[in-house]
Amino acid sequence: MEFANLDRYPAVAMAGVDKFYGRFQALRGVDLTVERGEIVVICGPSGSGKSTLIRCINALEAHDGGAITVNGVRLGKDRASILDVRREAGMVFQQFNLFPHLTILENCTFAPRSSLKMDKAKAEALALRYLARVQIADQAHKYPAQLSGGQQQRVAIARALCMEPRIMLFDEPTSALDPEMVGEVLRAMEELAADGMTMICVTHEMGFARKVADRCVFMDRGEIVEAGPAEPFFDNPQSERLQGFLAQVLK
Amino acid sequence: MQFDFALAYDNMPALLSGAWMTLLVTFTVMAIGGPLGLLVSFARMSRHRGLALFGAAYVAICRGAPSLILLYLIYNGLAQLDLVREGWLWLLFQHAFFCVVVAFSLNHSGYVVEIMRGGMEAVPAGLIEAAAALGLSPRQVLWKVKLPMAIRYGMKAYQTESLIFMKSTAAVSAVTLTDLTAAANEIFYLTYDPFTPILTAGFIYWVINNAMRFGFEWLDRRLNRHLTLA
Amino acid sequence: MELLALGDTGYGDELLFGAWLTIKLALYGFLLALIFGLALAVFSLKGKGPRWWLFRAYASVFTGVPSLLIIFLFYFGGAEIVRGLLSPFGISVKLDVSPFAAGVAALALVYAAYLGDLIRGAILNVPKGQFEACEALSVPRRHLWFRIILPQALRLALPGLVNTWIVLLKDTALVSLAGLNDLIAQAKIAAGSTKEPFMFFTAALVFFVLISSLTLPLVRQIALRLERGQRRAGV
Repeated sequence: MEFANLDRYPAVAMAGVDKFYGRFQALRGVDLTVERGEIVVICGPSGSGKSTLIRCINALEAHDGGAITVNGVRLGKDRASILDVRREAGMVFQQFNLFPHLTILENCTFAPRSSLKMDKAKAEALALRYLARVQIADQAHKYPAQLSGGQQQRVAIARALCMEPRIMLFDEPTSALDPEMVGEVLRAMEELAADGMTMICVTHEMGFARKVADRCVFMDRGEIVEAGPAEPFFDNPQSERLQGFLAQVLK
Repeated sequence: MQFDFALAYDNMPALLSGAWMTLLVTFTVMAIGGPLGLLVSFARMSRHRGLALFGAAYVAICRGAPSLILLYLIYNGLAQLDLVREGWLWLLFQHAFFCVVVAFSLNHSGYVVEIMRGGMEAVPAGLIEAAAALGLSPRQVLWKVKLPMAIRYGMKAYQTESLIFMKSTAAVSAVTLTDLTAAANEIFYLTYDPFTPILTAGFIYWVINNAMRFGFEWLDRRLNRHLTLA
Repeated sequence: MELLALGDTGYGDELLFGAWLTIKLALYGFLLALIFGLALAVFSLKGKGPRWWLFRAYASVFTGVPSLLIIFLFYFGGAEIVRGLLSPFGISVKLDVSPFAAGVAALALVYAAYLGDLIRGAILNVPKGQFEACEALSVPRRHLWFRIILPQALRLALPGLVNTWIVLLKDTALVSLAGLNDLIAQAKIAAGSTKEPFMFFTAALVFFVLISSLTLPLVRQIALRLERGQRRAGV
């Protein structure tokens, strides 16, 4: 991973981003800048556009207005910029989206081998390293259906890491998990954060946000209502909407 | 590869009478094979081991064999047996139409057995329990609740099977019955134009196919007027 | 029973030869139908566009007409069709279409319509998240389809594929009416010569019933082995 010149650019820079679904405006003029190594948590009620926002970053959704720049690469509608951005930012999904017919190891080596043309031995070594990092290397030869939800999500994290992205995007990674498995996934994410990864997380886990986030962002109805460092965000919410939301969530 | 409209027009009566035979065979078989399949389905689903085995064998043979083989067996095969040839049954079996109806009814009923089985299994257990709890006898539950529901659940599958069946009646041209396919072939043999008669016959089949489909959809709508099926 | 013997005395080897021809016809027809059906499915994947309507028109024609009619069309008119297709390119061929070729072509075109529908439905049932994961991982399109989506789609389509195979196998019987010396034709010949139709047609019947009865449990075994610890109802 080369870091030359990267410190010049913020990891993610979004300026005036709009997104429409037909006539419904999901994102309204969103401005957000994430610096290298920063941990940003995005929260808000359902329908607030937080998932849409994060999916616009790696072009799973196409934004209609404004500019998105990832590690200095301006995201356009052309395949080249989309590909570049997707190599920079890895994503972990709420539904894991592991490939059910491949083993854990194959799930992780699949993208490096087919996209980066890595050879099998090198890809497997890489995969085992990242699987070990999320403490699941011993399950490498099992199939996803044989693992619990928490284990599957950790594999999903390892799979995204195998492409060695410089930014990790998390779209409600623990929302589909039974409560007793949420902890293991959050722990994996905390370790990742401690290692200096730039992370943008959409999550309802306020405890995690409070502990790990550098900055928290509150979204409602397509726009950023309030953003700031974690402590004041939770202890001293400025806007009424955030106060209401926190009162609901932290009950 | 020309289409001769004049030829098609001239031969329309022959083709239409062939189409009439196709429809006759189709609906006669459906009228006989349907109830027959219903009957055998009781055997298939009965708790008596012998009956269930008979039912399974019946289905395996009637569904597993191409209808053409059943046709040859009944038309050519039965004629070989002295019992049939010298008995009163010969009055019936000497006619190609009768043999066709028997053979296809066996084939069609095989599918009906499995469709009924699927339909019965699709009836929610809760409905049966509710009916029994209301004091209906097992026979009443069967006839008033289970069967009507099973028929509705199986209707889509029956529709699919019937449309396929109608098209498979084209095989009767092998045993001297002049259906639509045989009529088209005859025109070909006379005129050496393969396209006009076959394409015209194809069009007529296509019309019959879609007409039957609409008929089924109408029936389905009527039966399910007040129902929303899961 | 001696009539069924192999060698000169009995019709056994003629029947076996016919059975082999039947299977060959079914295999060629099914494989071509599968490839063409796959192409149709991918082609018409997005619903409600012009491609989808084209596919629906094709399916309406080829599933709305008896396969026997199409077999006859290709057998009687096949040579002219090929000539008509190639003449704009200045190629003039004189060929005879054999019953086997007519049968394969007809079955392939008809069953491609059924399989296309089946496979299309199966692809649409592969969870959307699989596509998204591949996009996020910047997996090239070719690998997305051949390594991730199609394997899962074919697994979903397997019961339908097997059923279609059985139906197609039985449909091959009709090609005997176009002159192919398959199992049915051989049985008919033997029946005619020996005046024992019952025995020979029963033998042919047993062949088909055995294959269709044994295929389902066999495929279930293979499917179980392929599942490899996957739960049936999606991840």
